Amino acid sequence: MSLDAVGVTHGYGGEATLRDLSLSVSPGEVVAVIGPSGVGKTTLLRLLALFARPDDGAVSVDGTSAWSLSDRERLALRRRVGMVFQQASLFEASVARNVEYGLRVRRSLRRRLRDELLGLVGRRTRPDAVTDALSLVGLADDTDRDAASLSGGEAQRVAFARGLAYDPDYLLLDEPTSDLDPRNTAVIEDAVGAAADRGIGVVVATHDMHQAERIADRVAVLIGDSVIESGPAESVFDAPSDERARKFIAGELVY
Amino acid sequence: MGAVAAALGAGGPLFVDFPFESQYVTSIIYVSLYVSVIAVAISTLVSVPTAIVVGFSDFRGKHFLTTVINTGMGFPSVVVGLVVLVMVSHEGPLGEFDLVFTKKAMIMSQFVLATPPITGITLAAVTGVNEEVRDAAFALGGTRTDVALTIVKEARYGIATAVLAGFGRAISEVGSVLIVGGNIAGANGVSRTRTLTTAIRLEARSGRYDLALLLGAILVALVLVVNAIVIRLGDTGGGGLR
Repeated sequence: MSLDAVGVTHGYGGEATLRDLSLSVSPGEVVAVIGPSGVGKTTLLRLLALFARPDDGAVSVDGTSAWSLSDRERLALRRRVGMVFQQASLFEASVARNVEYGLRVRRSLRRRLRDELLGLVGRRTRPDAVTDALSLVGLADDTDRDAASLSGGEAQRVAFARGLAYDPDYLLLDEPTSDLDPRNTAVIEDAVGAAADRGIGVVVATHDMHQAERIADRVAVLIGDSVIESGPAESVFDAPSDERARKFIAGELVY
Repeated sequence: MGAVAAALGAGGPLFVDFPFESQYVTSIIYVSLYVSVIAVAISTLVSVPTAIVVGFSDFRGKHFLTTVINTGMGFPSVVVGLVVLVMVSHEGPLGEFDLVFTKKAMIMSQFVLATPPITGITLAAVTGVNEEVRDAAFALGGTRTDVALTIVKEARYGIATAVLAGFGRAISEVGSVLIVGGNIAGANGVSRTRTLTTAIRLEARSGRYDLALLLGAILVALVLVVNAIVIRLGDTGGGGLR
């Protein structure tokens, strides 16, 4: 059981190029991908989330290679992997509706119509998963607020809850706290730990090495066009074997 | 004299001798609304799906099509009226349906006039939805249809504005409805194809400025009401839709 990128090569001619890169995450594990800005962390996450087909190599979910499947079969696979972006990108709706989105699209059309009609007359009860996910980020009392009225930190926490509410097997987080203050950052980091405790495999792309050290079980250092160092967080940070990884961790400029 | 005339007659010196049948005025309002609302409704059913398909697919000639749509927004209405008239005239391809000087022909020409603004503004609204919002819908497990529906919902205010713009163009346009409709009122003083705009033109030319001004005020009021509804929709974020 794992989400794997195996020997992926992607983006030749584009901005971020990945070459022959492999990365894997198991259920309940937190993997941090660190590396300088613009190195292709987001590209890697989008490949893992099955947004794009790698030019070469394979991405597989629990052993099933995604791009050899039909669109329909791949949708089932894709629905087990969630991704939260650097920008909260909430929908113009209430907090609860945002968080319920992933649950809603997984329901039958009939059920969705019924829910909408019941919602219009105010007779619909909110699924527990929505409240659960929101309590994890400390916003259980804000379900009825308009997403547009949230602060940046609150919005990012709602985006996290939205990615978690439909209980994905794997969750990919792209710089989830880069614009946040320490308190909101702490809430998100705690929620990442809680998600892992529930058995979700988490990949966090971050340029914040201290954050990686705090939350990750394993760390992968992405420099140039591939992962040049990976392993348990302590060994990567304390004794990196690759010279460029050592320099990056020491805060020096690397290319 | 009907209630409208009586009320206005009491209003001031301009309307002391109220010289027209209220039935004449109400039938003109009815024809205007009937033609414009139906034309805009049909146009919306065509334009919104078209804009979504054009907005979210890549094909050869997309840029050209967008240019045609945008040019269509400023297309002269008299020319549209002329083309529709030729189409429905006895020698034209639709001649057998006998549509000259009918409300149906007016709906056709207003449909042609309303479609470019509705399609163009809807297209701008849906392509203006943040790409990250699209990605989020997809990442949360949405199918292409789910993503499209989400975008329509995000763009609802823009789409409402598009429909309003189409309605505004249809109801305040005079050239094409004059040509294809013929500005006809029956001998009993009931409008058949006379709209607020063509009636204003006729009454002003006949020197009945008080009536022309009344019709003008009604036209402006209609457009204002529709605008107010759309602005209110925007304020409440779509009311019960969310």
